[in-house]
Amino acid sequence: MEIKMRYFGLLVETLQKEEEIITTQAKSIGDLKNELLKRYPSLENKTFVIAQQNSIKAEEEKLLEQEVALFPPFSGG
Amino acid sequence: MEDRYTRQIRLDEVGKAGQKKLTKAKVLVVGAGGLGCPALQYLAAAGVGTLGIVDFDLVTLTNLHRQIVFDQSDLGRNKALAAKEKLERLNSKININAYATSFQLSNGRELLQSYDLVLDATDNFASRYCINDFCVLLDKPMIYAALYKFQGQVAVFNYKGGATYRCLFPTPPKPDEVPNCDMTGVLGVLPGLIGVLQATEVLKIILNLKTILSGKLLCYDLLSHETRQIEIKPNRAAIAAIKEKNSPKEELQLDCEDSLQIDLFSVKDQSNIVWVDVREKGELPRIRLKNQIHLPQSKWQKEWELLKNEETKIVFCQSGQRSKKATALFRRKGIYNCYSLNVGATTLQTWNQKVKK
Repeated sequence: MEIKMRYFGLLVETLQKEEEIITTQAKSIGDLKNELLKRYPSLENKTFVIAQQNSIKAEEEKLLEQEVALFPPFSGG
Repeated sequence: MEDRYTRQIRLDEVGKAGQKKLTKAKVLVVGAGGLGCPALQYLAAAGVGTLGIVDFDLVTLTNLHRQIVFDQSDLGRNKALAAKEKLERLNSKININAYATSFQLSNGRELLQSYDLVLDATDNFASRYCINDFCVLLDKPMIYAALYKFQGQVAVFNYKGGATYRCLFPTPPKPDEVPNCDMTGVLGVLPGLIGVLQATEVLKIILNLKTILSGKLLCYDLLSHETRQIEIKPNRAAIAAIKEKNSPKEELQLDCEDSLQIDLFSVKDQSNIVWVDVREKGELPRIRLKNQIHLPQSKWQKEWELLKNEETKIVFCQSGQRSKKATALFRRKGIYNCYSLNVGATTLQTWNQKVKK
């Protein structure tokens, strides 16, 4: 399926893009994460959470055919 | 009778009863920087009865574009003390306690226990996780925010048993993974907006207004004005682990070079400063400063306790490299009021001769 990806914070610099549409076979959030790590090795050492339908998802949760957003922790104050 | 709070008391949702709640409230603000300054101003103006301000850092010229409590006359002063003085001018009817220290494992419980809630306006993960864990242990809400370039995150953690920061990010990122504002840059208006959102949540909690930003992460983008609220589920196991340990899980203080350094030209008043020369004996130029001690590298580990006092320590060496190393080591030993001079001995000597004249 095709999924719109949104990247936030320093992930925009890491991936050099704010959003993209990817084609994936992933069934779960964890599958999608593994696919992303393969596609973007620079994500390997990054901390982030994955949200879908405005809710943070655990890796075992089912991937829906909807936008996925990646949020890293922020530090500045 | 007209009083300063008339316009907010006029709101049915606040009223005299609400104002009384504000007067009785005690709020600890950790970090008087970009987020802390605007939050503190609105909380003081609204009449929050007791404000605590925790900050070990000194005001520098590069702070002034966003840390709007301060002005040029504050350069080189401790932020907590300078903010207290400013806010007392804004509202002399409230109590303001300044703590010129950092929030850490050794003092967190004592600092937090007499307050109702804490506003996290820090710029580093070690402090943030420490605040989070003490909030869980002492059952206090934590009003969190953090920034990255043009984006901000805001959330209320540990509110009535709700999600905590560790439910969102169980462990800190690796050192150097996430830069802070000093390194990435920030427009002053972003901490202004986000700090005011934090103050808003504080007021809503005190006044018992709906809807508290608990169990949600508000993400804001300054450029697009896009906002999202992402649901965070409480991680009961993570919360229980903190309670069982009965002390915060220590996270490494990630050394941020920029906050270690002090700009020589921001030093205005030397009366409360000890200069620490970490060069070896015989290194030139010799500099005659008021209130100076000599601590060459061989003595850092053995004699760092000499620096345990209230005075601000400025560490210098030939180029600024050794002094950075020494300052990082002294900070790890718990000496937070020491800074590495951004220039070397020759520049310091020229400066010192000019100042003496």
